Amino acid sequence: MVEASSGMDNRFRGEITETHEGETLNYCYQCSTCSGCCPVFRYNSKFNPRRIVENTLLGRRDRTVKSPDIWFCTVCHTCTEKCPQGVKVSEIIIELKNLSSKEGLFPVHLQEEAKALLDFGMVSPANKAILSRREKLGLPIIENAPPEEIRTLTSYTGFDKLVASKKPMEGEAQKKPEGEAPKKKEAAEE
Amino acid sequence: MSNDYALFLGCTIPNRLPHLEVSTRIVLKSLDVNVKDLPGFACCPDPVGFSALDRYTWLVLASRNLAVAEEKGLDVLTLCSGCFESLKTANYILKNENGFKEKINEALAKVGKEYKGTVEVRHLLQVLYEDVGPKKIESTVKKPLEGIKVAIHYGCHVLRPSEVVQVDDPDNPTCFESIVKATGATPVDYEKKFLCCGVGVRSVDENTTNKMIEEKLRYVRLSGADLLCVICPFCLIQYDIGQFQINKAFGTDYNIPVFYYPHLLALAQGISAEELNFKFQRIKPDAVLEKIEKL
Repeated sequence: MVEASSGMDNRFRGEITETHEGETLNYCYQCSTCSGCCPVFRYNSKFNPRRIVENTLLGRRDRTVKSPDIWFCTVCHTCTEKCPQGVKVSEIIIELKNLSSKEGLFPVHLQEEAKALLDFGMVSPANKAILSRREKLGLPIIENAPPEEIRTLTSYTGFDKLVASKKPMEGEAQKKPEGEAPKKKEAAEE
Repeated sequence: MSNDYALFLGCTIPNRLPHLEVSTRIVLKSLDVNVKDLPGFACCPDPVGFSALDRYTWLVLASRNLAVAEEKGLDVLTLCSGCFESLKTANYILKNENGFKEKINEALAKVGKEYKGTVEVRHLLQVLYEDVGPKKIESTVKKPLEGIKVAIHYGCHVLRPSEVVQVDDPDNPTCFESIVKATGATPVDYEKKFLCCGVGVRSVDENTTNKMIEEKLRYVRLSGADLLCVICPFCLIQYDIGQFQINKAFGTDYNIPVFYYPHLLALAQGISAEELNFKFQRIKPDAVLEKIEKL
């Protein structure tokens, strides 16, 4: 009880309900349909959509935005589809992840994806082997957007700064071998 | 209705699985669907990762792609359910969420682009079922795949969120079955048909993604299907390469070929298996190809 009340932050609930889809949060009556139909919860009980919604309703920023658990959502939208109250559960989890990202808390693989986007305008850019395979398969050369154009946009929205602001997440710091990511980036820039 | 589309390839098909692009171009041509390769598209971008990092940037970049298609006045055809969700959601939000279009256009003005809201986004499944239709597909079949049992996997983003994507009945869809039947093959039902492929959780929890793949394949095998048919490259990677990974992780011996729908249709149209380059997939479909050969 003490713990529950100490972690509450009423402004935080408002940050979610003020968003376009987040306002549906208020309709939740905790029936747990979302957790019942969640394909991730079946195998990993750390990811419990009903509990995430409950913690958001109660203003527990520490147990949602600051927890790595929200990142287990596979974004299949089954919960949103099945909710009898019309709560947009998966969209609310996306808003929570946005708040988490603003604090520099997001998984390392997304930082890598985002760096590829900033470097090449694509998460999976073509390489020499693929270009040669495409030629052998008789496929056309595709002219994608210049990466500078993408960088102009990401710089305007502040996305480049967000990507660079990453802090280690719980349980992540030890796993990341030092120097690995920067090396990759240098190679990509050459 | 015009059958001209801007072909939005995304990055997974052209840069990781280009053989899927081969079969797609073959079947679209045979069905008189004209696709144009426009210069200037970029990442969709990934609806799972980028919406999570910053929904606004995600929508700006997705809308930029729509603006490219608008300049040519072409509706967009996507071959990947991920691209479909990003582009379709952006189109939906900019048309329906007050003030969002203006906010997005402020950003796009920095690169001399503008989103107007004049084009539609269509998934390959929609184009095949709604625009072309099973009858026309059937008319191009030279070698009906009689007796071939197909387990269908719709995947998530082509059906959900239904309010946004508006494809078929999300609880009881039948469009995929219709276009599989048009090839002469028989769709077979199985438990967990609507289970997510799990690609969205792969990078954070490999054990969960593997268990999701295993559960799906267990029921596909029980159904007696000759193959699993998908309509999204990510689902294909999950069940093809993923099948190899779960066999290693769990000591199972799954060997279920995974087809992107255009591969199935191309075979029914008499296109040779060599031309479809199954060699670029992990699970070799030799047994089912032999069955088809004998038809």
